[in-house]
Amino acid sequence: MSTDTAGAISLRGPGALAESGPMRPQRRLQAAQGRAGFAMTVPFLALFAVFFAGPLVYSIVLSLRSPLTNAFTGLLNYRTVFHNGEYWSGVTRMLYFGAIQVSIMIGLAIGLALFLDSPYCRGRRLFALVYFIPFAVPGVIAAIMWGFLLQPDLNSALKVPHDLGLASGAINPLDYRLSLYAIMLIVTWEFTGYNMTILLTSLTNVPHQVIEAAKVDGCSELSIAARIKLPLIRRTVIFIVILSIIGTLQLFNEPVILNNIASIGNSFTPNQIIYNTAFSFGNEQLAAAQSVVLAAITIVATVIFFTAVRRKMDPFAVTRGR
Amino acid sequence: MKEVATTTSSRSRRSFGFNVKTTVGTAALLIAAVYVIAPIYWLVVASSKNTGQLFSTSTFLPPAHLSLWSNLRSLFSYYGGNYKWWYVNSLIYATATATFATAVSTLCGYGLAKYRFLGRKAVFGLIVGSLMVPATALVVPLFLLEHDMHLTNTYQGVILPLMVYPFGVYFMSIFAAEAVPGTLIDSCRIDGAGEFRTFWKIGRPILMPGMVTLFLLSFIGTWNNYFLPLVLLGSETRFPLTVGLSAWSSDLNLAGAGQPLYPEVILGSLLSVLPMIILFPFLQKYVARGLTLGAVAGE
Repeated sequence: MSTDTAGAISLRGPGALAESGPMRPQRRLQAAQGRAGFAMTVPFLALFAVFFAGPLVYSIVLSLRSPLTNAFTGLLNYRTVFHNGEYWSGVTRMLYFGAIQVSIMIGLAIGLALFLDSPYCRGRRLFALVYFIPFAVPGVIAAIMWGFLLQPDLNSALKVPHDLGLASGAINPLDYRLSLYAIMLIVTWEFTGYNMTILLTSLTNVPHQVIEAAKVDGCSELSIAARIKLPLIRRTVIFIVILSIIGTLQLFNEPVILNNIASIGNSFTPNQIIYNTAFSFGNEQLAAAQSVVLAAITIVATVIFFTAVRRKMDPFAVTRGR
Repeated sequence: MKEVATTTSSRSRRSFGFNVKTTVGTAALLIAAVYVIAPIYWLVVASSKNTGQLFSTSTFLPPAHLSLWSNLRSLFSYYGGNYKWWYVNSLIYATATATFATAVSTLCGYGLAKYRFLGRKAVFGLIVGSLMVPATALVVPLFLLEHDMHLTNTYQGVILPLMVYPFGVYFMSIFAAEAVPGTLIDSCRIDGAGEFRTFWKIGRPILMPGMVTLFLLSFIGTWNNYFLPLVLLGSETRFPLTVGLSAWSSDLNLAGAGQPLYPEVILGSLLSVLPMIILFPFLQKYVARGLTLGAVAGE
């Protein structure tokens, strides 16, 4: 991109050259430049106000109105949400889902990225490309592919355990007991490579000298990976975990498609329930309250995760324990 | 693993061209690659089977008699040939959104990076904060607002909200801060150019690689989007591919819905992802940079 010097100069901002000029015209000039800078943000801010901030505020207002009369009812809708068993089982299902799926996916992504970054790896570029391909596949299409592949009628491999006498019937990953895990398989397929790509580029930013120094000290590749590289990309790991938490709580596309294909149920996730409340039952006020609560849960989950890893980052923890 | 590596002398290891860690690691990489490729490979194979062949022939092998041609004909003629319109619509939504989102985000990011003005920090706070808001919280009220503005079921109704791309602004402000030297802007000013002219003459060409990244991210994001168009669009002729194929897939299990659409859904899915998968080796570099700059900027 650019050299460090250019970055340092740009930090002082435009107008730095004019420092020698007389005071008042320079001020006026800077004010005019500032106005131009603000003007550049106006198209974005206008769109943001209408299509982002507006709906967000409207969502909160709507959640305080009565579904029947549309009159102000205070927190009535929120009380309905808190007593809605279906909604909360959807939320807990997603928390359970996230605890398993996000752990597996991030673990896989870290393992793959560290190995691709190691000197033992052959064909690094090709593998990195292959793993990243699912990023170009829409969640809907991923769910359609896997939804078909996970049906015993369409995939003879699922009948093999039965043919070998190991199971009483064909394995159906889309039945009510296994469908949650089938979605985990699909979401892991979709996003492991995406997370690995972020980690891999972060790893290439690890200073070469640090690795060389560790090698001189007789560090094995495994301990370089575990004790030097991994701690150095810690922030990136935290970042992708937070993105995954947000994504998990919003899960929608995959369960909707699997329900189309294999009737796994239409109130599997909070987002499906919100969609049904608004568009099948026409109760936009309650749906607004449900989505505000979901946003709050997302923020709380993110903050809890962040505080937990923050505490571990305490420098004294390293010297005290481990 | 380590024992084996150290007991074998380095000379014999070289002569065999064999390293245990490399072998075990490569085997693991290959297994992961099979997991990634298998469903796409299956989609390619299955797209040339008719419904009967899908249920009777070997899952991962092509059929003896290819039905690709009849599948293609049926895909493009079924229900008034809606599929081709979904394809055109997806192209319109993705191209228009990516173009406008890139333009708006680039201008804003450049303005934030290169100028000091009152409220600049507030705009930054707004953008970073909005990255945390789940899209769900916006969709229901967005539908109601667009309904009042007569924007539902229109192209601009889908494109306008997707043009708001806070990540793009965030990305471009970091990119511009690093890439565009302040001295260059100043020298352009001394030549008497206005601020917008300076942006056009100096900023735009330097920011072009970043704009390519943003365009691709926004294009892929819009092409893949499902929830927003599902909520905002009612008529089938306005659907993008994701919503259309989802509608067809919902007919698979309904009794009495007419012929089951297995071949059409499979071939339609394949054609909707094939161009991007073929182009991906060339685009990967730009896309990966966009994801990474966002992640690493916090460090």
